[in-house]
Amino acid sequence: MWWFVPIAALFLGIFAGQHAGIQIPAEMVKYLSIAILAALDSVLGGVRSLLEKSFNSTIMLSGFFANALLAALLAYMGDRLGVDLYYAAVFVFGVRLFDNLSKIRHFLINFIRTRKQRHAADWDGAPTGKTSSVLKEDRS
Amino acid sequence: MKQTLRSVLSVTFICFMIGGLFALYIRSAPSSQSQTNVLSQRMDNLVSTINNLEQEIAAYEGIVQTSRDELAGLESQVQTGWLRQLQEELHMAKLRAGLTSVIGPGIVIELDDNVAGQKANPNDDPNLYIIHYEDLLAIVSELKSGGAEAIAINEQRLVTTSELRCVGNVILVNTTRIAPPFVIQAIGSPSILMDMVSYGRLEYMITSGFPVTLTTDQALILPAYKGGLQFKYTTFS
Repeated sequence: MWWFVPIAALFLGIFAGQHAGIQIPAEMVKYLSIAILAALDSVLGGVRSLLEKSFNSTIMLSGFFANALLAALLAYMGDRLGVDLYYAAVFVFGVRLFDNLSKIRHFLINFIRTRKQRHAADWDGAPTGKTSSVLKEDRS
Repeated sequence: MKQTLRSVLSVTFICFMIGGLFALYIRSAPSSQSQTNVLSQRMDNLVSTINNLEQEIAAYEGIVQTSRDELAGLESQVQTGWLRQLQEELHMAKLRAGLTSVIGPGIVIELDDNVAGQKANPNDDPNLYIIHYEDLLAIVSELKSGGAEAIAINEQRLVTTSELRCVGNVILVNTTRIAPPFVIQAIGSPSILMDMVSYGRLEYMITSGFPVTLTTDQALILPAYKGGLQFKYTTFS
């Protein structure tokens, strides 16, 4: 049930954002969208590493802040230079998002499959095991 | 176990951030088409500013109108002697200044953009098919030289301080935006006014294909000027 907590936090965040008194200036909205992409990327990366049991909260949190800030900074620099670095960041985050999503999907499918097989094995094995033990008892 | 708690907490934190940022983003970029277009967002801001100011103007005009009604009520109290004479003079002065609604015979000119013409020739310059403020100005001038005593365009009474001004896509009269179809009402001798405008700018506009209707009316009612008439700098010389 641990996944329930982040989802609740998501809605709480939406609520907080809607009722916060701050309004992002129009010029910054573009960079905010990149920060959102970075956040999505880190949360999916986090979920993936959780599933793969290689999770490290420090790495994820630092990745979240560093990625978001760097991406926004790069996009801003690109705007100043007249190069659309914005799209580079979108591309990179997009690719990583889909990569992480597919890894998570693979993992989940594998997980469900193995559980089913184990279930099936338990079910098939249970009567024979019992009978054998009973037989064993009888014999002793 | 401690490790899992920390991991769940950090994922939770980032989810919270995503939610908050997303909501902020949605709030900051209300129009979906112009999310990244700073310019059009600025335009939206300007449009809402203009709308607010126009509402304010309307409210103030209402206040002015009620004060004027009150004043008119006081002024029209039955007086005797020289006060009565003054009262009549005041009334005439107001009539001339355009501060009262008036009734009388005159003509009504209705004109609209040449939409059909533009559809038929989509490659032409669209400026050829819309009504410009110069057109209205020419017609108003012709009406004035035909002896029109009161003129109103789209319910905006023209007085001495009235302007006819082009601001981008719209025309301002008495700093109020007006848009086609335009209805110009003028009180005066219907036959003279009719002759005057028929051989002026309207003739050219009719031959260019603008939809124009010209009618005479024996009892036109023109509204009063709603704005202020203040003289801050002028005195008698």
